[in-house]
Order: sequence, then C-alpha cells, then structure tokens
Amino acid sequence: MQRDWRRSVYHVVLWVVAVIFFLPILWIVLAAFKTKDDLLAVPVKWAFRPTLANFVDLVHRHDFFSSLWNSFLISASAVVVALVVAFLAAYCFSRFKPRSTDFLMFLLLSIRMVPAAASVVPVFLMYTALGWKDTFWGVMLFYAMFSIPFSVWILKGFIDGISQRFDETGLVNGGSRLHVMFRVVLPQVRPGLIAAFIFNLIFVWNEFLFNFIIGGKKTTMIPVSLVTGSLAQGGVDWTFVATLASVYLVPPVIAIYFFQKYLLVGMTFGTVRGEV
Amino acid sequence: MTAETGSPREAWRQDGMSFRQRVRAGRMRWIDDSRHFPGMLLVPVLVFFVVWNLVPLFWMLGMSFFNYSIITGSPPRYIGFGNYLDILGNFSVWQALSKTFVFVLGAVGIETVLGVVLGFLFWGSSTMPGRRLALTLLFAPMILTPAATGTFFRLIYEPTFGVANHLVQRFFGTSINFLGDRSWAWFSVLAVDVWMWTPFMILISLAALGSVPKAELEAAEVDGLPWTRRIRHVILPHAKFILMLGVLLRTIDSFKVMDLIYQLTRGGPGNTTEVVGITLFRKAFEGFTMGWSGALAVIALLIAIAFTSIYLYILNLSRAGKEAA
Repeated sequence: MQRDWRRSVYHVVLWVVAVIFFLPILWIVLAAFKTKDDLLAVPVKWAFRPTLANFVDLVHRHDFFSSLWNSFLISASAVVVALVVAFLAAYCFSRFKPRSTDFLMFLLLSIRMVPAAASVVPVFLMYTALGWKDTFWGVMLFYAMFSIPFSVWILKGFIDGISQRFDETGLVNGGSRLHVMFRVVLPQVRPGLIAAFIFNLIFVWNEFLFNFIIGGKKTTMIPVSLVTGSLAQGGVDWTFVATLASVYLVPPVIAIYFFQKYLLVGMTFGTVRGEV
Repeated sequence: MTAETGSPREAWRQDGMSFRQRVRAGRMRWIDDSRHFPGMLLVPVLVFFVVWNLVPLFWMLGMSFFNYSIITGSPPRYIGFGNYLDILGNFSVWQALSKTFVFVLGAVGIETVLGVVLGFLFWGSSTMPGRRLALTLLFAPMILTPAATGTFFRLIYEPTFGVANHLVQRFFGTSINFLGDRSWAWFSVLAVDVWMWTPFMILISLAALGSVPKAELEAAEVDGLPWTRRIRHVILPHAKFILMLGVLLRTIDSFKVMDLIYQLTRGGPGNTTEVVGITLFRKAFEGFTMGWSGALAVIALLIAIAFTSIYLYILNLSRAGKEAA
C-alpha cells in the first residue's frame, strides 16, 4: 500500500514539472480568450470571463487566411519536394556508397549548422539579383533545400537498416531498379519518411528569418505576421498577437502528441535512435 | 550503338507504353542498363546544393572583398581583405563574439544540468497515467519557433501588465523591467532559452539512460552498488555518447541564436544582448553594408564548420564505441 502511495506522489511531481514548462504557453492561450481590458489590466487579473471575440476579429483580418494558407501550402510542398530528392540521394548513399558519400553528408549537415543570419545574407543577395524574392517558387524551393539535409540524414539511417538482400532478391527476380527502390525499399522506411515529413513540416511551419527576408506580401507565413504584428509601431495589438500565436501553435503541439515516438529522431537529425 | 539498346527515347517508343505503365511494369530499361544510375540519383540533390548553397556562397565570398552598401548606390569597390581586417579590429564584433560564447556556455551549462536531473526524474515514468499528454506539454517549448516564444515572453515580461513583474511585485515588493533594464535583460533572455531547450536535454537524457542495458542495471542493483558508483561505472559509460551529441547540438544551436533575441530585445538595451547573429542581421538588413556582413558571415560559417566536424567526430566515436561494446 505504501508503495502505491509513493508512486502516486512521484507521478504528481512529474505532472507538475510538465505543467510548469507549459505554463508560459498556457498564459498566451488564455490571453487569446481575454478582452483587451482584461489582458491589459493592472494588476494582472487572474479570473476573467472568456470571450471568442478575438478569434472572430482574427478571422476578419484580411491577411489572416492568406498567411495561414501560405504556411500550409509552402511547408507541405517544400517538404514533399525535399523528401523525393532526399530519398533518391539517401538511397544512393546507402546502397552505392560513392567515394564522396562522407564528404557530401558532411556538407549537408554543415548547411544546417550555419547560423541562419549568415546564410540569409547570400540568399538575399542572389534572390534580389534574380528577382526571386516574394515568389511562391523562390520561397518554396528555398525551404525544400532547407529540409533536404535533415531528410537525407534521417532516411539514410533508415535505409542502412534494411538488408541489401531485399534489393538483390528484387533484382534477381527481374524487378527494375526503380521497382526495387520504390516498391521494395520505400515501404520499409515508412517510419523514417513519417519522421522526416513531420519534423520538416514543423521546421518550415516555424521558420521566421528567411520568410521575413526573402518573402513578401504574397508569401508571408504565420511567424512573420506574428512578429510584424508584435513590433507594430504605436503600441502592440496584444489580443491579436496572442490569438494568432494560439492558432499557430495548434499544429505543432498536436503533431508531437501523435508522433511522439519520432521526436528523438526528429530533434537529432536521425543520429540518435530510440524511443522516449 | 545497336538497334536493340538504342537511345532511351527510341526504346520507349518501341514498347508503346506510357511512363506510368513502364514504371509499374518495371521496364525503365534505360535506367536499368545505365552505368550512371547512382550518379543520376544524386543529380537533384546536387542541383539544390549548387543553386541554393554554392552559388550564394561564392557570391557572398566575392562580395566580402568589396566595399558594398545597398543604400549608397555607389558601385562596389574592391578592397581586398579590408572587411576582414576591419572585423578583426572591431571592438563591437569581439564584444558580440564574447557575448555569444558566454551565452552558449551559460545556456548549454544550465540546460544540461537541469536536463540531466529532470531526465533522471522522468526515467521511471513509463507507467505514469496520461504520460503522452504530460510529455507533450513538457516538450512543447522546444517545438515552437523562437519567433513565437519570444513574443509570448514579451507579453509575460511586459513591465506594466506583464505577469512576471506582477509576481515579483507581489512577493518581493520591487519592480523589475526584465527586458528594458541593462542588468536584467541578459538573464531574462537566458531564462527564455533555458525554458525552451531544457526539454530537449531531458529528451536526450532519457534517450541516453535508455541506452544503458537493463541487465547491467539489474546486476548493479542486486550487488547493491551505491548510486554514485552506479552512475560512474554503469550508466555513464553507455550514456555519455548520446549526452555528448545532445550537448554539442545545443552548443551549435545556441551559437546560432538570433530570432529569439531579436524578438525579445533586438539586441538591446544598448548592446547588452547583442550576440553575433544580431550584429550580422543588423549590419546586413538595417545598415545594408553587404560586403562587411558577407565577411562576418564567412567567419561565422567557418566556426559552424568547425563545430560540425567535432559533432561528426563524436558521432563516429559513439558508433565505434557501440560496435566495440
């Protein structure tokens, strides 16, 4: 009996820790349901009457749906392009091991290690010169490039884990190379594809700096509207910022609830495997 | 070339099948016969790499030898290593660099200690009710963009109606301007980074602890080994590689920190929170001195490549260690 009691205390402690980490986020979500007066009240009001008015206002803003749509469209298409390209490359690295494999994998990883502020300068120069700024293709393909290194790393790890026997059997039995790649190997790396898909989606959905610099009116995504909204001159519209932030954070949080077992792979470029 | 192998296009026409049918039937003969198949697989990734990395990189490298500003409109003037010499002799750059390193040390240090402690705490949580939801709440901070979390904390740190200051007033009777006060801003920014990334170190610690073989742990328990020695002789030898990878990833990421600080303080007040990323961003997109910021970006790139090499070195060590075990 005493053991049970201790165990419950332990679980309560864990829950408290988890909730403490979530509190700042909860505070923003609560702010989205407050009226402007409640939100700006001095001293801080703990009890308030929740309202949905902010969400109604948000939906009526002219740029809300366009940035939401941009966020969905750009992140989804960039990730799909990246996954196709990355799968081809990862298959090649894993199966044919060209002499340049280690070097190319290193280059790919170093792309992700460069400070964004450093890599945005050259991209900005090139995009301005070529007139690719604020175009769907320009922004989308840039994000595809951004997602490729990570996808190659994850997928190579997964393809390495699949025996070459499968390939050999397929080829001996008269399957073509493409058949082996897409019909034999691809279905077996599904967990890798899902992990790469989800985490790239989150990365692109979250990306701010590049969208801020190489995007524009036509390609604004949610984090940029959030930041420009919160930096507005002459006072920040906090109810708008809090409401938009609450809408923004729903997909990532849902994603880590349902795809929790890929979190580790996703946060470490696939270099650390295992479940939590 | 014989008629049978023919050119790829020729072979397609002979079969009279569409591209889809051909893929389905597995009869893309020109692919199967090609000696260059592995190379073909790499073409798309190389195209992306060249267009979006190599070209901009050389562009920037070239630019870094010029005195070039977008606003003055005067044509770029070749100055050789002028920009680099200016950066190396520039006090504010060294100040930003040292601030970045102190930030990295502080953030990664605190996150690692907290993460490992909480990782141990969560180690036995597999039977906890609602574990999935609890972990979602716990890991939420690291999955959200710094651009958004920075915004959250601007509201929380707000000096008049922010909740942080309200609590401080209530319990300590004084008032703190968290982001506006020179002596507090740095710690306030650090606190947000710690909040965001401690969950990552918890995740890494859990993975590291999970990599310790159960049998060895049980043996240690049966032998009644004290905890200090259990950690040193049983857990650490297995867990250290994953932990090192985690710490290194955090080091690289916090070296990159920019959007969080930009959103919280824009490097201010004064330059108290100006790290290298902020300097670079300001010079490039507020001062528009492209040559100079190009040179600084090249330097940041070299530092990042050094970090990546260390990361891969440890990754290979860990793989060698696993095989030896």
